[in-house]
Amino acid sequence: MSRALDRIGTWIGWAFFADLANGLALTFGYMFSKSVTMQYPDKEKWLPYSRYRGHHFLKRDEEGEIKCVACELCARICPCYCIEVIPYEDEKGNRRPAKFEIDMARCLFCGLCEDACPADAIALGQQYEFSSFSSHDLVIGRDDLLSKPGKAMTGGGVVAARLNTEQDVLVETSEPQGYNWWRNIRRT
Amino acid sequence: MELVVALGLIVFKVALLIAILLLLPLPLTWLERKIAGHIQQRMGPMRVGWHGLLQPVADGVKLLTKEDHIPAEADRFLFKLAPILALAPPFVVFVAVPFGESVSVLGTEITLYVSNMNVALLFVFAVIGIEVYGVIFGGWAANSKYAVLGSLRTCAQMISYEIPMGFAVIGVVMLAQSMSLLEIVRAQANVWNIVYQPVGFFVFFVAGLAQAQRIPFDLAEAEGDLGAGFHTEYSGIRFAFFMVSEYAIMLLTSVLAVILFFGGWNGVLVPLPPILWFLLKVAFFVYVFIWFRFTFPRYRYDQLMAIGWKVLLPLSMANIIITGVAFL
Repeated sequence: MSRALDRIGTWIGWAFFADLANGLALTFGYMFSKSVTMQYPDKEKWLPYSRYRGHHFLKRDEEGEIKCVACELCARICPCYCIEVIPYEDEKGNRRPAKFEIDMARCLFCGLCEDACPADAIALGQQYEFSSFSSHDLVIGRDDLLSKPGKAMTGGGVVAARLNTEQDVLVETSEPQGYNWWRNIRRT
Repeated sequence: MELVVALGLIVFKVALLIAILLLLPLPLTWLERKIAGHIQQRMGPMRVGWHGLLQPVADGVKLLTKEDHIPAEADRFLFKLAPILALAPPFVVFVAVPFGESVSVLGTEITLYVSNMNVALLFVFAVIGIEVYGVIFGGWAANSKYAVLGSLRTCAQMISYEIPMGFAVIGVVMLAQSMSLLEIVRAQANVWNIVYQPVGFFVFFVAGLAQAQRIPFDLAEAEGDLGAGFHTEYSGIRFAFFMVSEYAIMLLTSVLAVILFFGGWNGVLVPLPPILWFLLKVAFFVYVFIWFRFTFPRYRYDQLMAIGWKVLLPLSMANIIITGVAFL
């Protein structure tokens, strides 16, 4: 009996375009929901999570020595052969990299170098804005890698940003923590 | 002297009408893109001007400076004629459309319409039918299979939708005992036609969607399957002509829906100036057109034909018969 009623209800709904009305109501509701657009780069910017794999950086130990022991395991495991390490022996007799170059143009940011490193010397940090007009500029040497920003401490938020194009293209932020972008996602 | 003033007034009104109709697509495109954006949780244009308000101007300048390309194998005469044929009829139609009774400026009564034809409704339908030639010629002249398919679809669509549309308004004509749009609005001073003619309005509105070639009936330019349909090969200012024509027809359909079924400038409850009431109602219908576009998918071609001939035509016929019987 109820199935028959349901069927009648369906037919009445069909006759009065209930499905179309449902669709219209949904889009009308969405029209007044907050938009999820992140206005990068001149108004807002995304702070990556701490797990984010961005530009590589090399770590130093407590004495300020470079941690890398130039074992070349990262170069070995790299699937796109973008790391080149040349070792040398420093004054204390430790094996250190004389040359440590990463070709960012070829890197696929898999993070295997980070996993393979026995000395916890290399990791993928939070920087993601390093596009360039020349692929030569994307070959990053040892000293540049040492000065790159590390892993994000907080993150996962959108902060106010300002686009600075006076010298180089630069997205400046001041806040350390932003609003949670996911709160704007409408889930029905 | 009287004659000169009257003539000058007509010329002024026509010029004003043309200017408004040519400029109106600018805010309408902005509105359409904004509404589209917000329905899809985006922001729409944001960069040119405040909240992208100048975006349509930038687009217009872009279209004006673009290369005006004509395909090598195209029929050059028809190719150039088509955009004008598509653009002119929607403008001509507005001559017969009233926007209000009259306003008095400096002691003289100025009517808010260019002419009060006693066959205005017939005129509107006759002239707007010419617009389809622009679309057909455009598709044919471009010598491209997508364009031809698009214009063939338009052709069939127009035939199957003009008829129910024409029938749907007969009920209104019967109620007002006149074909003059002015008389039709005056007849609705107390009760709007939508109360007596809900079915007529439904048929008119669906056919109007098809007439304006908007989603869910925009098969002539179905982006998904035909590239851009009849204006695939058009670029630059000629493409802009087609777009202006499309917006003018959308506006015309909204205006006609308001005049025929929603009481024109007759207000209800809230005492606003009549012209404001009229604009508000038209704006609502324009919004509905845009809202529909970003809600519904496109109908399949055979479904479109089936709706036209098997649903709308019998409905409009039944509407005429029932209205006639109720009148007797």
